[in-house]
Amino acid sequence: MVQVRLFGMLKTLVSGVSMLEMPLSEGAQVKDLVDSLHIQYPDLGELLLQKKVVVSVNQEIAHWETALVESDEIALLPPFAGGA
Amino acid sequence: MAVETEEGMLVRVQQENFSIDQELERVRARSTRIGGIAMFLGTARDHSKGHDVSSMTFEHYEGMAQKKLKEIRERALQDFDIIEALVLHRYGPIEIGENIVLIIIGAEHRADAFKACQWCIDELKKITPIWKMEYTPQGDVWVEEHP
Repeated sequence: MVQVRLFGMLKTLVSGVSMLEMPLSEGAQVKDLVDSLHIQYPDLGELLLQKKVVVSVNQEIAHWETALVESDEIALLPPFAGGA
Repeated sequence: MAVETEEGMLVRVQQENFSIDQELERVRARSTRIGGIAMFLGTARDHSKGHDVSSMTFEHYEGMAQKKLKEIRERALQDFDIIEALVLHRYGPIEIGENIVLIIIGAEHRADAFKACQWCIDELKKITPIWKMEYTPQGDVWVEEHP
């Protein structure tokens, strides 16, 4: 299993939780995680597929081919809105 | 260690308000070569995209937000002819009129200070994992983009 952190409006798509536990098979890549999320949370999955939400791994923006291991710090980041 | 601590103070994500005078002095004290200082201060406004806003809350990704602000400072120091850069952003609940974000650039001359200051705030908006929720009469709204 791997923990996936959610920020901003994404929490409203998954009943207000800020962390999801997702299964992770050996050799999995970001795209496999996105597929699993899409099945379980279709609205969230759509935003990921449309690249409106990006995935970070260990605090760096990841690509779909980025390899994942259980100890990775994974987060889903909606469009940023810092500044004023 | 003292130098590291001082450099850490030049890039911060914090809940509490900041003093513009203190931060300005922090930059000014870095070098007597500084002859021009440009500043951008972002504050909380009561109107956004056609609706009233009563207050707001900023959420940040702890660790990654600080890392990105540090990157912005380092790239500004590398890419512009400036002497020092300070980048601060607040998180948590913020009332209308309060400070949100502060960029201060110290340079020998004004042109580079202005350019670097604009670049820093533009880049901050692009790459820093910070999100804003606005409280409006129509309900709470997560802001998705900036004009």
